[in-house]
Amino acid sequence: MKKRLVSALVMTGAAIMLMGGCGSSKGQDSKATGDKSAADSGVEQKSEKKSSKAVTLRIGLPGGYDVTNKEIIEGFQNEYPDIKLDIDEAPWGDFTKKITTQIAGGTAPDIWFQENAAVLGYGDKGAAEDLMPYIERDLNEDEFASTLFSAQVGESVWGVPHGGNPIALAYNKDLFDEAGVSYPTDDWTYEDMIEAAKKLTKDTDGDGKTDVYGLITSGGITDGWFPWIHSAGGQALDETKENAVFDDEKSLKGITEWANTVNTYKISPARSTFNELGGTHQVFGNGMGAMVFLQYSLGNTVLNTNFPDLNYDTVKMPKAFDGEERIVPNVNNTWMIFSKAKEENKEAAWTFLKYYLSPEVQKIVADSGSTIPVNKEALTYMENLQFKPLNKKAYTEGVDESGVTLDENKCWNEWRTAAQPVFNDIMDGKTDPESGLKQIKKSVQEVLDENYEK
Amino acid sequence: MRKSNFWGLLFVLPFIIGTAVFFVFPVLFSGYISFTDWDMFNPPKFVGLKNWINSFKDPAFWISFRNVLYFAAIFVPLQTIFALVIANMLNQKIKFKGGFRACYFLPNVTPWVAGAIVWKFLYGYDYGLINYILRSLGFEGSYWYDSDKWWVAIGSLALMNVWKGMGQTMVILLSAMQSVPKEIVEAATTEGAGKAAIFRKITVPMISPMVFLTMILSTISAFTAFDVFLTMFDVYSLPDRNNVVNLMVYREAFIYGKMGPASTLAWMLFIIILIITVIQRKFEKKWVHYEN
Repeated sequence: MKKRLVSALVMTGAAIMLMGGCGSSKGQDSKATGDKSAADSGVEQKSEKKSSKAVTLRIGLPGGYDVTNKEIIEGFQNEYPDIKLDIDEAPWGDFTKKITTQIAGGTAPDIWFQENAAVLGYGDKGAAEDLMPYIERDLNEDEFASTLFSAQVGESVWGVPHGGNPIALAYNKDLFDEAGVSYPTDDWTYEDMIEAAKKLTKDTDGDGKTDVYGLITSGGITDGWFPWIHSAGGQALDETKENAVFDDEKSLKGITEWANTVNTYKISPARSTFNELGGTHQVFGNGMGAMVFLQYSLGNTVLNTNFPDLNYDTVKMPKAFDGEERIVPNVNNTWMIFSKAKEENKEAAWTFLKYYLSPEVQKIVADSGSTIPVNKEALTYMENLQFKPLNKKAYTEGVDESGVTLDENKCWNEWRTAAQPVFNDIMDGKTDPESGLKQIKKSVQEVLDENYEK
Repeated sequence: MRKSNFWGLLFVLPFIIGTAVFFVFPVLFSGYISFTDWDMFNPPKFVGLKNWINSFKDPAFWISFRNVLYFAAIFVPLQTIFALVIANMLNQKIKFKGGFRACYFLPNVTPWVAGAIVWKFLYGYDYGLINYILRSLGFEGSYWYDSDKWWVAIGSLALMNVWKGMGQTMVILLSAMQSVPKEIVEAATTEGAGKAAIFRKITVPMISPMVFLTMILSTISAFTAFDVFLTMFDVYSLPDRNNVVNLMVYREAFIYGKMGPASTLAWMLFIIILIITVIQRKFEKKWVHYEN
């Protein structure tokens, strides 16, 4: 019996091994000091264009050269031959999985980029260097869009943008022409958009099923419920980002209309339909939908590649139902410097960031069409690029006038994971908006309370 | 120390070091971490039983545990029965035996990511093959892995897991069947026993230790199943009703960076698997026949 118990123990132990991650105790003994000012750590030393001391700079590139143009890395290497580069590239998912253990073990790259929300979390935990002293020392803020400070919390800036990815309203010109509906304008409200979508929704073959939808309403956060919750003046979190709002009257109106596009007006396909077809942008590319909230990156990298003949353009996001406010959700990827990197490596990393933010390099970023640069000179340059969508001002001016983050805070991943399943149920018609939003508010507030130790 | 002992120890040293570093230490360390708050950036803060009490009181844990139990309850018997039947068929004198064996084993070597793409197509609500067939026959289509009924969603994934894991179990059982002495089968045939009777009264009892082994392995693999859930579900929008413990561990650890609660959940699952394995071994004597 004893022998059998032992063998059972071994087998179950092996099972735990299969699912358990191997943690390292390395790095536990020192609380990272991300709030330590750069001035304390030698930032005031004069930074020269050519580094006099040879350093090896480890740069983390999630998504490899598909996301960060190789020309930029090679250009930096040519301009700064004394800084040796050690590139740590991996597919996005693999990189983000391993980076937490690398940080814990003190073996993370000197500099890398990730979603802005993740970087805010690193800042809070002391893993990201505060870049405010570097920015104040070396950058002229007037040369940059306000998104330069997307990773600012209080007086600290935990990173600078790798690039922005805002949304605009994309429309299929051919479908508008066929239906005899005027193209959208920058002055459209959500009401105008819904009314136009009703006219554009058609059963073209008369089989009783809709073939062309006026609008493709996303179920996700960036191009889905977040802009819609603001469409009637509502909010997800309050200004402190420590309290959930969600269920006020304005938010309820916005989310009710969002769900109505699928369930009542039937001007948008169901979530399951566009999920099966590869996402909202694929459905838009296939000509099954006349309008969609389109993230900038999906235009050039997906629509222009997969649907080169698609005749589309963009206008700014619609104004709220009352015609007053407009919000443009903007998702940033953010470069950050590891707070535990050696001082000379931090300086080399900042040299790289200055190079990355220079007009010449930002124009390369603009040319990629996958992200919006942060340098104003490059933004002007981008507006004249001749790939679709031609009206890039829908993004550049849109984000400049009305850009907002997705209420990102240090526990963004956690609260949005609590909210998203209920939003899915609301959109699928399984939960009514009122009780769904109450449920969301309660779950999100619990997450916020736990993380802000209320 | 005797010289032979020294050399013996030297030869097993790599294994001992490997076990200590990659098994014993992580298991003990995760036990320690379960009593702390640890974000992987700052030193762990001891919090006593907080994580254990919170996990124990969290309805989401018990729902996800119910889902794992249900997953195992479908997966283990189905996989064992299918593997047993197919192994028996492939143990007969049939043509293209090698080809059939390869076909049944193929899912086992197919990566989950590729398998998930195919299964999402099969299970799709609007354009899925299963719903297409159902609608052609006059039935209503159904949501499967994305159903809001937990038992449909988890059951759909259990079937996928049977498809993936059956090949390996089938190979183990087939090799066991091939070691059944031919004389016994021939004697039974001479006595007039049919194929079904031989299978039921000779083959199954004689390979019962192997059947038991595969059931233990299947149970453990059901409780530790992870890839099937990760590839089919979106962890960022997964409702509690369809969650499983391993995804909870993954989410707590690698998305929220909360290693304390993650380790607690892993240990709670370990204890539960241990109890179930011990119970399985208790019942072993009732139906497993060892030669000695």
